Amino acid sequence: MFRPTPRASGYFRTTYAADAALVQTRTEKIFLLLFLIALAVLPFAAGPFILDLACQFLLASIGALSLMLLTGYAGQISLGHAGLIAAGAFTTGILARETGAPFWVTLPASALTGIVLGFLFGLPSLRLRGLYLAVSTLALHFIVVYLGGEYETKRGFSTGIVIEPPSFGGIALRDGRAWYFVLLAAAAACLLVCVNLLRSRSGRAWLAIHARETVAEALGIGIARYKLLAFVISSAMTSVAGCLFAYYRGFVSIEAFDLFLSIQYVAMIIIGGMGSLLGAILGAAFVVVFPYLIENAIRLLPNAQRLAGDIFAVNYAAFGVVMILFLLFEPLGLVGIWRRIQNYFLLWPFKQRPLAGGRT
Amino acid sequence: MTGINAVDRERLRRTTAPHLLCERARTRPDAVAFRSKAFGIYRERTWRDYAGLVARAARVLKSLGLKRGERVAIMGDVCEEWMICDLAVQSLGAIVYGIYPTAAPTEVAYQMRDGGASIFIAEDQEYVDKILPIAHELPDLRTILVIDDSAMFAYDHPKLRRFAEIAGNESGDIGWLEAEIATLSPGDPAFIVYTSGTTGHPKGALVTHGRHLAATDTVAAHYPTLREKAHRTVIYLPMCHVLGRDVAITLPLMTELVPHFGEDPEDLAATLFEVAPTVLFTVPRYLQKYASHVLVGMLGSSPLKRFVYNAAAHVSRRHVRRLWDGRATRLDGVAYRLLHRLVFAPILNKIGFDRLELVVSGGASLPTETATLWHIYGVNVVEMYGQTEEAGGIIAGQRGPFPRPGSVGTPADGVEVRLGAEGEVLVKSPDLFECYWNNEEATRAVKGADGWLRTGDVGEWKDGSLRLIDRARDFIVTSGGKTISPSFIENALRASPYVAEAVVFGHGRKYLTAVIEIDFDTVSDWARANNVAYTGFTSLTAHARVTELIQGEIDKVNSGLARVEQIKAFRILPKALDPEEEGEPVTPTRKVKRKQMYERFRELVDAMYDDSEERLIALGARGALPP
Repeated sequence: MFRPTPRASGYFRTTYAADAALVQTRTEKIFLLLFLIALAVLPFAAGPFILDLACQFLLASIGALSLMLLTGYAGQISLGHAGLIAAGAFTTGILARETGAPFWVTLPASALTGIVLGFLFGLPSLRLRGLYLAVSTLALHFIVVYLGGEYETKRGFSTGIVIEPPSFGGIALRDGRAWYFVLLAAAAACLLVCVNLLRSRSGRAWLAIHARETVAEALGIGIARYKLLAFVISSAMTSVAGCLFAYYRGFVSIEAFDLFLSIQYVAMIIIGGMGSLLGAILGAAFVVVFPYLIENAIRLLPNAQRLAGDIFAVNYAAFGVVMILFLLFEPLGLVGIWRRIQNYFLLWPFKQRPLAGGRT
Repeated sequence: MTGINAVDRERLRRTTAPHLLCERARTRPDAVAFRSKAFGIYRERTWRDYAGLVARAARVLKSLGLKRGERVAIMGDVCEEWMICDLAVQSLGAIVYGIYPTAAPTEVAYQMRDGGASIFIAEDQEYVDKILPIAHELPDLRTILVIDDSAMFAYDHPKLRRFAEIAGNESGDIGWLEAEIATLSPGDPAFIVYTSGTTGHPKGALVTHGRHLAATDTVAAHYPTLREKAHRTVIYLPMCHVLGRDVAITLPLMTELVPHFGEDPEDLAATLFEVAPTVLFTVPRYLQKYASHVLVGMLGSSPLKRFVYNAAAHVSRRHVRRLWDGRATRLDGVAYRLLHRLVFAPILNKIGFDRLELVVSGGASLPTETATLWHIYGVNVVEMYGQTEEAGGIIAGQRGPFPRPGSVGTPADGVEVRLGAEGEVLVKSPDLFECYWNNEEATRAVKGADGWLRTGDVGEWKDGSLRLIDRARDFIVTSGGKTISPSFIENALRASPYVAEAVVFGHGRKYLTAVIEIDFDTVSDWARANNVAYTGFTSLTAHARVTELIQGEIDKVNSGLARVEQIKAFRILPKALDPEEEGEPVTPTRKVKRKQMYERFRELVDAMYDDSEERLIALGARGALPP
């Protein structure tokens, strides 16, 4: 994330613009290009099932990135993530349904809802820490879910709100491939925002607060300001993810936003690896794909038909086991595994960084 | 010597460094002259900027009343400001000399008094602190000029002036500089270089403008690639040393070499990594240090990686041997290149050595093992031989690529070399130093009436190449009458990654012993990897496992030596040698003064010699033999 020196020798920077470039070495550029090509080709190579999975992953990664910002970097625990997604989705649903507001109104409106909620539920963080903060954010979840449920029953949408797909210049967004690229752009934008926030003043302030509040305050960091900022930014992004989710599904129902969703997002950042944006993305991919893997694994068993009813239970249980295993054996998460593999090659033929020379 | 070359050199002989600078500022104003890292980025300075900075500094010095022929001393770390001030002093016709940043206080006092500097330029507060306590004892000293005054808030001294205060916002005027240097004559003295002097006080070699440029041309002529294409180099050798001056100031004015300065000399490893130089001038110590860092890193690597390394080193060694003999086949080359790409290129990349096309080692003799290792890694290390007295030129140098280590190559163009009595290397060249400053006697001793310069080194010819055997008068004659060259054994010892410095004793003794200074970085790394508990340098040196480690290294060296040359006992120094400390037996360039070393660590050395025989003889003489 923060790069004192590039990964390979010979990249001396003569301007601050070059110093701030995200991609520095030739190898990095080549790999990035290959990765982008793979992303661009994917929707044309994959079937509708994989495409839907990719879209789910992209949506989840926006949510995971924003939670990582709040929990993994600023150190503020939140269990209200599903509530915030619900808030974004309901803002979109209600506006679209009641006023027929188009996409470019509902999206900022969702963000605004996120900002307001983030500010309100960030306030307890000024006094509370750890478990107590987690409980107070849980209140957010239940309030939003309650209000959403009330709206649904009072307005008679007890099965949920149906939303028309958004249209750009008169063309409705219905195609799976088009959705993929829209969500890819949104996720990429979210990632860029996070990367740049983290390597600027606010990101450094969050890290300092995470490490030790007292020291951070002694260094002149406004604790209240930066904690609230973390909540506001994270909530705004989460609500935007909720808005996109509502449009992508074309349907908003309060059943989709149960506490298990919050747990899933927490699982994403734990399994992915705390304190790493790459971790959030890897975790999102893992959590999205995992249930399908379990399902397929069960199908391979003999008497698969009889087990069909237990799939959900097995899923939950396996999920819990995986999280425990990660906490026990790989506290750095998937990103820890990834870094080990990467370091094996980056450090080649050394095992540790040699005494002389640059970063690896 | 080719015709074109001679014309070129004659042209250089008739000009000065400031003239070359102004010429470049006129002919290629926007080309990059050097890069200097400040606040995280490498600031590019064009030739126009460079000349402007020199003009600005010259104006400041002139306003301080600097007159032709006066001396100016510069003390500080390697930095662009040194180079700029140096050329500014030269532009005004004054004589500049540098003092080692690591020099001990008495050394500073001696050089200030001997050189008689009227202005002392201090890089920053650290060097102001070194001069202030002795400022009142120096009648010639008019002004102490400090460049970086960031830590100078509480300083108040009548002689102290701040550069920025005098220079103001004025930018340098190249026209003014050109007018100023118009009267400069190539025959005027330009600078003094104090020899590091392992014996006695350092002597200041006085050098004139024209001769210095013509002499430095021997380096450029010996390594034509410097002129043929743009090269990056990193500046880290002290600029008060003649080699440091050549690389930072003079060679860039006459070749395509672009110097790069790091943010701080402490960051050398990072600077090398970032810049990835294509040409490096170095002293053997750095090559040894980096080689040992690589080796220790490999020792700590996983078995698979180490196996791959060993296999690659094995094949490459064979290839390098054939390269030396000039009979490498194409098939060899293919296998070697593959292994290089797989193993050595990643190693070199991590220390910023992967783009090196030429590494020139000078200043002291380069151990064969070290040169061989770098050749195996695919780094074209060549050795050159020169002294301060050659005014920035070289006597001889290996041209390469990949020359067989062990010699210092063929004599430079325009330099005549012959061996005198007892094999002493004698040099004749039109471009040598003028005299030792204030030391007629020493000048006469070195510059004979016959026009041959006495180097004091002993050499021999081997296949047309010059091989250096030792500094004259630095042989050890054991009590057994064997004459041994200690520096050869010391070099072999220093090739070990764990040995920073080794001094061999044994003059008039029965056998040889050594005093070892461990390399703290590598040994502490080894200690951590091997669960050896230690608290600091001294506790590390006292550990039995470390003694075992060094014993192992000495055994390895001994196995390659004749019986009389073998080290029979050794002691590890309990502290690191620090040239900045008063009375420490090393020169500022970390060359060991053998005699002082003995005086300082006499007990350590004497304890290694078992004197039971002598005692027995004494007892026998007194008739006091035990019953």
